[in-house]
Amino acid sequence: RDVAKRARMSSAASSATRAGSLNGRPGRSCIPIGPHVVLKMIKHYQEEGQGTEVVQGVLLGLVVEDRLEITNCFPFPQHTEDDADFDEVQYQMEMMRSLRHVNIDHLHVGWYQSTYYGSFVSRALLDSQFSYQHAIEESVVLIYDPIKTAQGSLSLKAYRLTPKLMEICKEKDFSAEGLKKAMIGFEHMFEEVPIVIKNSHLINVLMWELEEKSTVADKHELLNLSSSNHLEKSLQLLMDRVDDMSQDIVKYNTYSRNLSKQQQQKHQYTQRRQQENAQRQTRGEPPLPEEDISKMFKPPQPPPRMDTLLIAGQINNYCQNVKEFTSQNLGKLFLAEALQGHNS
Amino acid sequence: MSRFFATGSDSESEESSSADEITPKAPGTTFTKQSLLLSDDEEDTKRVVRSAKDKRFEELTNLIKTIRNAMKIRDMSKCLEEFEQLCRAFLKSKTIVDKEGVPPFYIRILADLEDYLNQLWEDKEGKKKMNKNNAKALSTLRQKIRKYNRDYETEIASYKENPMASADEEEEKDEVESGSSSDSDDEPADAKSFLKKKSATEAPPPNASKFLKGAADEESSSSDGDNEDWDSDTSESDSGSEDETGRSTSMAVNFLKKTSSEGDRHTSEKKKEERKKRHKRKERIEEEAEEEAQEEGEGEWEKVKGGVPLVKMFAKGTEINTTVVVKKLNEILQARGKKGTDRAAQIELLHALANISNENNLGEGILVKIKFNIIASLYDYNPNLAAFMKADMWKKCLDCIDELLDILFNNDKIFIGENIAEDSENLASDSQEYRVRGCILTLVERMDEEFTKIMQNTDPHSQEYVDNLKDEGRVCGIIDRLMAYLEMETKGSTEEVCRVYLRRIMHTYYKFDYKAHRRALGLQGETKSEQDAEESEGEDSAFIMDRLCKYIYAKDRTDRIRTCAILCHIYHHALHSRWYQARDLMLMSHLQDNIQHADPPVQILYNRTMVQLGICAFRQGMIKDAHNALLDIQSSGRAKELLGQGLLMRNMQERNAEQEKIEKRRQVPFHMHINLELLECVYLVSAMLLEIPYMAAHEFDARRRMISKQFHHQLRVGERQPLLGPPESMREHVVAASKAMKMGDWRTCHSFIINEKMNSKVWDLFPETQCVREMLVRKIQEESLRTYLFTYSSVYDSISMETLKEMFELELPTVHSIISKMIINEELMASLDQPTQTVVMHRTEPTSLQNMALQLAEKLGGLVENNERVFDLKQGVYGGYFNRDQKGGYQQKQGGYNRDQRGSYQQKQGGYNRDGQRGGYQQKQGGYNRDGGGYQRQGGYNRDGGGYQQRQGGYNRDGNRGGGGGYQGQNRGGYQGGGGYQGGGGYQGGGGYQGGGGYQGGGGGGYRGGYKGGYQNQDRRDY
Repeated sequence: RDVAKRARMSSAASSATRAGSLNGRPGRSCIPIGPHVVLKMIKHYQEEGQGTEVVQGVLLGLVVEDRLEITNCFPFPQHTEDDADFDEVQYQMEMMRSLRHVNIDHLHVGWYQSTYYGSFVSRALLDSQFSYQHAIEESVVLIYDPIKTAQGSLSLKAYRLTPKLMEICKEKDFSAEGLKKAMIGFEHMFEEVPIVIKNSHLINVLMWELEEKSTVADKHELLNLSSSNHLEKSLQLLMDRVDDMSQDIVKYNTYSRNLSKQQQQKHQYTQRRQQENAQRQTRGEPPLPEEDISKMFKPPQPPPRMDTLLIAGQINNYCQNVKEFTSQNLGKLFLAEALQGHNS
Repeated sequence: MSRFFATGSDSESEESSSADEITPKAPGTTFTKQSLLLSDDEEDTKRVVRSAKDKRFEELTNLIKTIRNAMKIRDMSKCLEEFEQLCRAFLKSKTIVDKEGVPPFYIRILADLEDYLNQLWEDKEGKKKMNKNNAKALSTLRQKIRKYNRDYETEIASYKENPMASADEEEEKDEVESGSSSDSDDEPADAKSFLKKKSATEAPPPNASKFLKGAADEESSSSDGDNEDWDSDTSESDSGSEDETGRSTSMAVNFLKKTSSEGDRHTSEKKKEERKKRHKRKERIEEEAEEEAQEEGEGEWEKVKGGVPLVKMFAKGTEINTTVVVKKLNEILQARGKKGTDRAAQIELLHALANISNENNLGEGILVKIKFNIIASLYDYNPNLAAFMKADMWKKCLDCIDELLDILFNNDKIFIGENIAEDSENLASDSQEYRVRGCILTLVERMDEEFTKIMQNTDPHSQEYVDNLKDEGRVCGIIDRLMAYLEMETKGSTEEVCRVYLRRIMHTYYKFDYKAHRRALGLQGETKSEQDAEESEGEDSAFIMDRLCKYIYAKDRTDRIRTCAILCHIYHHALHSRWYQARDLMLMSHLQDNIQHADPPVQILYNRTMVQLGICAFRQGMIKDAHNALLDIQSSGRAKELLGQGLLMRNMQERNAEQEKIEKRRQVPFHMHINLELLECVYLVSAMLLEIPYMAAHEFDARRRMISKQFHHQLRVGERQPLLGPPESMREHVVAASKAMKMGDWRTCHSFIINEKMNSKVWDLFPETQCVREMLVRKIQEESLRTYLFTYSSVYDSISMETLKEMFELELPTVHSIISKMIINEELMASLDQPTQTVVMHRTEPTSLQNMALQLAEKLGGLVENNERVFDLKQGVYGGYFNRDQKGGYQQKQGGYNRDQRGSYQQKQGGYNRDGQRGGYQQKQGGYNRDGGGYQRQGGYNRDGGGYQQRQGGYNRDGNRGGGGGYQGQNRGGYQGGGGYQGGGGYQGGGGYQGGGGYQGGGGGGYRGGYKGGYQNQDRRDY
């Protein structure tokens, strides 16, 4: 019943997203997702994930015209560190072959992952999504937030890397200059793809029926007024990221200071050399041989900026989450106030 | 025992005989044995060299022997090894070789070895058969010896010309080896002749009558004894050395004359002896040297004991007058410091001389001079600095100094000084003043040092220590007398007076003046008895200290004496609970600034003073001051070392033996120790009283710092215990008490701090035990109340002060004042409701979410700060007025942090870096200064002045909100700085910065400043 309710809610949500998708970019039309994909993901997390641990799986589907449809999925099995001989690729292949045998869509179209308070913008995600997208152009990553879902609204989002980011990742140029040239900021790293959960009519009927039967108490989750726990956790995570960011900045700061110092030294050196050469010329001696300046002054290793970018993206993500959460909560509080006033 | 005497005279005779016949052989000359002793000196040194030579040469011959053996078995690697050793050994004996020429046996082996190697080298067949190692060794050895022999070419050539002669020598050498190794006599002697000679010497003595006469009873008894335990090693070697002595015929006479019993023994035991001799050879040589040293001492002593009249120091009939005595004195003194001089005998001689001069009424002048020298030689008695005086010597020394002082007091006319030249001395004439060279002050100072040394070297838990300590009275007496003497007109310069005063102070400052204490108490009560009343007569030590120290402050020109005097003065004040005087003196002297430049003993004294000051503050209930004073000593964990009360176990690379010795010499004698457990307890308890409320108040504060690391460490240790039993040690008690206090449970806390165990361990050590305990209870109640309010205010809407009063058993005004203080300091968000006598909580403490938000805002501030700097860099130095301002603010904050938080660590690191010897004592650099906001008000004001300006900046830029924050920051900073809460001002300044910086951090910072400033200001307006 629980699941059914969620599905219903998501269908409500999907209608909203569908409206948004109308003015989306061409060729990026929203992705229809089969209901059992969602249910399978939820089930997977419920069974295997807890706390900060994340679960992952493979999305299957097919491309119809210019539209991606996700019709099925299967989880990656949880495996411990010590059975090293476990071959994930092998497993995937096996899985897909078996699915084909029972005549289910077996095309690999992406992967899914659960998240903890929205903390998913990480290097690992970037790397694996890059390799997916590199191999299968239209693949997406579905992020499922179980905590938000538990609060009453299904949170499921599909992301792709922007073409710009793809290019950078291809070139592996994460220096500050490279990023600047690509004009990429944390807000342009991922693009969200609208999704739609498409139920068959039969299922819709079933849901209506279930709706009738469900009690009022089941719907109260959505009206939970408590906020501090969620906010505290978010703030804590946000703070950690801010700390990381600070460190990165300090690193970058030292780097640029060193760089400028060296630049100065280089400059001095060349000047001195020029002077000397001029003197020698007046004396009629041959000028000093040119030396490789870049060899004498090794430029300091520039710190990679990609991590900083990711952190910024993550911070942004947290902020969005908090904003969303607080605005919802405020609404609820007003609602409660009004109710209180009405009652008394 | 008596055997020693016998051998003693033996060696004596040998010495005299080998002294180129300077000593007359005929007995009964007018020459006394004393003069003999004096003339022996040179001889001694020669002998030492000779034995060294023997030793070296034997080493060489042994090595040569092994080489020859190795040659025989064609073991090249062994050969190489030994050859290298030989070269080294030869190098070592270079001094001897320089004197004696290259020994022929050495040349011989060089030549032989070379020949042998060449021969091997030629022999290609043999070489092939050799194993790899040997072949390699052969080639290296060959090269080596070629190179080496180049230096000795001529000698080798001459050897090769005449191998026979050298061979003879070599044989002789062998003989020497098999015979007696001391072949130092130039004439070569083969074994036979040697034996013959010996038998000759041991033939019936020609002058038997003399022998009988000379043989004292003890001698004969000794020979008996010897016969009995004949086979013992020592006796063997004895006889060995006797053989040696008996070798020259000229010696024999002497030998027989003196120790005829030995002769007897020889004849009877000769054969036996010879059999054993071979085995004992080596041992004998080693022992010889030792014995000689012993013999010398013992031998001379025997003579004195033997009753040779000392008057005979002067030839009979010589008129004994001043000049003669002085001459004699100089003669005796010449031996001083020379090797082999018997110091004990010298002292005896000087005493004898003193007696002579006394008997002959030579006047005080000469007596004083002799006394000076006696004392000096007493000090000289121990050859090295580490050894301490023996009890009898010490007694003698004290007596002597006493006598000397007697003389000086009785005769005004004696004028002594260290700058009187030797020739301008006036020792004789009665008409003028006596002028004697010498410095009584130095002698007394040395005596004092000796006393310290004795105390350092005595086991502090033995009766001996107590006995030794009894001498302290005498030492003090002497110093007192000297003081009186030097205080007299013209007797001592101010400098000397200062020095003697310092000595006096050093003996006074650490003693608790029970008399004065009792008198202070006795003003109210009755004096117990007549005797007590009598005892309590005399000056208070406080007056004495005051007088002496003030004199030194005024007159002293060397910094060191003044520094010591100040420190002692402070110590004394602190010991007698005159806290304010002590503190003021400490602050006025500015010692904390530059004590790290002082020498280690002064630093130790400084540490002791600081500790005493801290303990004094504790007794007075000045917990913060106590904590600050003790912090530096305690935080290092090396209190023991810093106070000079023992060495810490450290690994050897940090401290070698030499350093250890130096450090040992610095130790404070046991009776002056400060009880370390008391010290630690005082520190921990004060830390507890400060830290627990602080912890409760700042439970959510991200930037909370520890007041005392040490205390936290103890707490953690306590937490780590898997099973918590009832507390045993002092630390466990404090930890348990802290836990109780955390809950605001003052009764439990009290019972942990003050109970039987703690009383006996710690509190009873204070003179005013009762006061201290009362103070403690009160403090515990107050601080528990504060902690309780901090911890539980969030669960109360209001609390009645009556209830609090009952809970903590405090009077209502006290409760009222504590709560008011907390409210004023903005530690407690509440207001007092006068009519109902209740505290109404405002419930404005931020929730954890709010706290978190504040933290985040702070962090964002930092982030923006960093970002600005990146921007700055891009812009170049002229990045704009705005940025620079920002940076200033940032640095300010950093500074604040540095000053408080890291300051102490840095200090410590400094201490560690500075190595070994000095490092240890430098640690406490201006620690008191640093966080003693209490007295060093300026620091506090300055700091928060800076904060204020900072805030002003915020105001200008940001209008009302920033201004509010700024105002508040200043307020708090000001208070905290004044309180000296470990530089709380600095910390708060940092907080203030956040308020000021709010505008740039956008919402976050502004929120903080506005939020806090807002409601707090309002609160204050309320009451």
